[in-house]
Amino acid sequence: MKIVVLNNCVPFLRGGAEHLADALAAKLVEHGHKALVVRIPFRWAPPEKIVEHMLACRLMRVPGVDRVIAFKFPAYYVPHPDKVLWLLHQFRQAYDLWGTRFQGLADSPEGREIRELIIRGDNSYLPEARKIYTNSEVTSGRLKKFNGLDSEVLYPPLLTHSQYSCAEYGDYIFCPGRVNATKRQLLLVQAMQHCRTRVKLLVAGCAETREDAEAIESTIRKNGLEKKVQFVNRFISEEEKVDWFGRSLGCAYIPYDEDSYGYVTLESYLSRKPVITCSDSGGIEALAREGSTGRVVAPEPRVLAEAMDQLFLDKQKAQRMGEAGLELVHSLRITWDTVIEKLTK
Amino acid sequence: MKIAWFTPLSKKSAIARASAGIVTELAKLADVNLIHFENGDVRDASVPVKRFASAAAVDERTLNHYDLAIYNFGNHLPFHREIFLVSRRHPGICILHDFVMHHFFAAYYFEDQRNPAAYSLLMERLYGEEGTAAAQRVLSGRGPRLWETDEVVRFPLFEEVIRGAAGVVAHSGFLKKHVEACFAGPVRRISLPYDADRSAPHLSRGDLGLEDHQVLIVTVGHVNPNKRIEAVIDALGRLGPATGRVVYAILGPCSPEYQEALNAAVRRNHLERVVRFLGQVPDDVLHAYLSHAGICINLRYPVTEGASASVIEEMLFGKPVIVTDTGFYSELMDGSVIKIHPERESELHIDLARLLEDQALRENVGAAARFYAESEFRADRYAREILDFAWEVRRASPLLGLADRVAVECNRMGMAASMKTVEAVAHEMSALFTGEALGRDTHRTRR
Amino acid sequence: MKIIVATSVAPFVEGGSTFIVDWLGNQLQARGHEVEILPFPVSESYPELLDQLLAFRLMDLSSHGDRLIAIRTPAHLLKHPNKVVWFIHHYRSAYDLWGTRYQNIPETPEGSAYREAIIAADNVGLREAVKLFSNSAVVRDRLSKFNGVTADVLYPPLLSPDQYYNAGYGDYLLYFARLTHHKRQWLAIEALSSTRTPVKLMIAGCADPGAEPYVDDLFRLVERYGLKNRVTILPRWIPEPEKIELFAGCLGVIYFPFDEDSYGYPSLEAHAARKPVLTTTDSGGTNELIVNGRNGFITPADPELIAHAMDEWYGDKELARTMGEAGVERIEELGITWDNVMERLLA
Repeated sequence: MKIVVLNNCVPFLRGGAEHLADALAAKLVEHGHKALVVRIPFRWAPPEKIVEHMLACRLMRVPGVDRVIAFKFPAYYVPHPDKVLWLLHQFRQAYDLWGTRFQGLADSPEGREIRELIIRGDNSYLPEARKIYTNSEVTSGRLKKFNGLDSEVLYPPLLTHSQYSCAEYGDYIFCPGRVNATKRQLLLVQAMQHCRTRVKLLVAGCAETREDAEAIESTIRKNGLEKKVQFVNRFISEEEKVDWFGRSLGCAYIPYDEDSYGYVTLESYLSRKPVITCSDSGGIEALAREGSTGRVVAPEPRVLAEAMDQLFLDKQKAQRMGEAGLELVHSLRITWDTVIEKLTK
Repeated sequence: MKIAWFTPLSKKSAIARASAGIVTELAKLADVNLIHFENGDVRDASVPVKRFASAAAVDERTLNHYDLAIYNFGNHLPFHREIFLVSRRHPGICILHDFVMHHFFAAYYFEDQRNPAAYSLLMERLYGEEGTAAAQRVLSGRGPRLWETDEVVRFPLFEEVIRGAAGVVAHSGFLKKHVEACFAGPVRRISLPYDADRSAPHLSRGDLGLEDHQVLIVTVGHVNPNKRIEAVIDALGRLGPATGRVVYAILGPCSPEYQEALNAAVRRNHLERVVRFLGQVPDDVLHAYLSHAGICINLRYPVTEGASASVIEEMLFGKPVIVTDTGFYSELMDGSVIKIHPERESELHIDLARLLEDQALRENVGAAARFYAESEFRADRYAREILDFAWEVRRASPLLGLADRVAVECNRMGMAASMKTVEAVAHEMSALFTGEALGRDTHRTRR
Repeated sequence: MKIIVATSVAPFVEGGSTFIVDWLGNQLQARGHEVEILPFPVSESYPELLDQLLAFRLMDLSSHGDRLIAIRTPAHLLKHPNKVVWFIHHYRSAYDLWGTRYQNIPETPEGSAYREAIIAADNVGLREAVKLFSNSAVVRDRLSKFNGVTADVLYPPLLSPDQYYNAGYGDYLLYFARLTHHKRQWLAIEALSSTRTPVKLMIAGCADPGAEPYVDDLFRLVERYGLKNRVTILPRWIPEPEKIELFAGCLGVIYFPFDEDSYGYPSLEAHAARKPVLTTTDSGGTNELIVNGRNGFITPADPELIAHAMDEWYGDKELARTMGEAGVERIEELGITWDNVMERLLA
């Protein structure tokens, strides 16, 4: 099939969705299709711009392709007779973020008007798709709740071919990824001061801001955690990540209320390592079973410390949980073959 | 150019008569097919005629055979219902013969569709709160029906007929202005053609019961209050002894209730031997009265028509016509008719007296009327102008089509016409494609 | 700098413009700029274009990037305070193909108005550019004639001219281009049949979809003239290394498509390998690059006259060499280098 993958675009910014789009295109080609990623500029401030871009998408045409696969608002408004959505998220400011401090739109007659428009637009155009997939139960839940639409969850597999494996169950908990307030690495570092065992923590990833880095560094300093916590504040390579996973005791991934389970979770299970997460971390719920694939605990330093200690004390249990996690990934068929099969049906 | 000309064709329809004349001329300039939906007594036409049983029977393939469809509209549901339905799904040029189309929609929603709620919604959509209130009064059955009163001019409903049209033709500047206030596409004013049969009448003055010295005054058409006949009768009453020389013939059907009021006016003015109510008469009788008329009175207030065929006919007969200075009548060339200001009806008797006394004046005005009417209200001129307009409409259609498609998307998103985005997008379209400052495209995005 | 390169694409249809966009992005990155390449799908079917033109106006890139370089129409409609347009061709149905049997807009009042709207839109977009370039003089002249704007000619270079090399002036002339009728490989075969020297001909390239009959015709032509041992046809995709070898060993390059806007990459590839180019007076853009007698031959599109030129090189390889070297100079002269392109686009 000739397929166009439609995504939004903020020029010069590449995030998870951009990488996913590229990976999807590459995988489609591997499976014998022709694929092209089309990125449509989206501007949402001032709010009138949102509407203009919704309209722009409606006026676009994608000729000479058999199918379009769209990821996000408003790219999914582009008309095509054979449209499949792999919904990463809608314009959340109009939905679950409305009424919170993240709503983005002013609570003024204009802001409310635009919010109405977005909801009306989604209700009007989303059903044009022949099938809606989403990346998580959370996203599906919102779609059902706010727009009354059914969808099927299709988990995004890992993007790279890296060979994750288990070398040993070492003495550190590994926490890779972008460092910022939402990902809450700071909470883990704070937890370390309550640990009773010799368990260590390795936080590896670029801090988004100077403040984020400072917070962690100063916590380490103030509590004398230099020997227990290692903070690698930089972009880490695939090789480093694979290696660090391979030798870790387990992984901790405790973001606040994320839609999706996070690739870190998959990477950990593929390395047969259990995952410690929090009860308010969001989409990871789909892949984390308390006590069986890892721990799901309250976002409290002492509770987290206990979880990390327990892993350290019972490495065999850690291994069992890690393997259960791998089982789970396999049983859920989180693979590109599954993805391609469904998206090209 | 291949044109599908939709029209009533019944012999009882004045629009049919006009259409027949126009298409004859239009066929010299373009490829015209006349399309109608009637059984029974229909006119002949000089172009190929296609009859369909209903709007549904007119399929897309047939329509796509033509470059453009032209739809004739008047206020009478039976004549225009199927035409209306076709025009909804296949935009073309709408010719508005009537300004007030309220009766058409009242009949459509109440009798045809039996959907009074739809009537209310329409009134609300076009006229807001006032419309809703007026619709309410109609539905409650209290008082006279809206379309039988002068109030109706505030809720003409022609807007609904032309919604989504590719272009609109009006027969008066008056109606053109109203159309432009709500329609963003091309609009053209073309003078309605009329041809009068000016052969010698079969009936003589004597046959009509006229004495040699008497001047025949004639008013033709449906007897409605807006024809101001009561005022005419009162004016005649003030002529004193001069009424001995007058016969005032009113040719047209009248409702019994209104007839009562008019009879009362006749009685109070003691004009029983002057005024004759003749009701609906056969063509040859009408022809005779017009031929022998010395003066025609053709008042309207308020105006409900787009133009008036009767006054044109009277002018073609070379008669001096007294009209109200409003609407279409204001646009008639000065000196070709006698215009009375609507608020100066009380002085009507002065103009009447003058005309009655001065035969030369009657003849001069009459001659001017005929000269003007003959050059202005011609079918060949109409045909040329409407063909020219058809080209203009076709040229406008790509951009109007785009505006419509944008409007559809805006509506699907629930955008209010007042939103800033609507203005911004309309402005962008204008600036991009025409280089003109923002025009009328915002209107297209209104529902 | 942060630079957005915006262009239009017909998805999965290969065209010359994809190269210019990719190579430009490549070169910008190599010089340390951050590049965002945005290809927008566009349908050119009547009557869909107006909707899409409006879409281009509504997409707002104006607060991103230090510069926006717009390549293929209608990318030049995008709004940006620092918009540079490198115009490669018009939407031809509305311009030079209007009035010919190739126009895909009907000749009706609707079609005329549609066409005028397209031209009006182009006029708006082009005038917003802080700098306007065209890829050839032909296009520059069209911009002036149809849109009343003045463009500077900025010739698109090869991505990696250094990959080409000269292995000497062999016994075959190379015609390396897509196999399709208007490239006129058939004319080369006809001309060869009139040559007096044993000069050979190598025709290589992919057939356009649907052009298989044309390829058959070429083979038949070779048969008819009994040129089987002098003409080689390679109707397939030629991988880069093989292509470079073909250019390296040829006597000279033939490139005479009918009336093309641009001189074509084969002309540049020829000179990169220091080979002369044989073209015709009616080829269009090649006539801007080739100066007759200096870096190649321009002959009327007549088989005998072309044959004459072919024979000249075969008989005088030194001439071919001189002309090939002159080609290198000519490229410098016309600024067909990425350094020049960068300087002009980013000034």
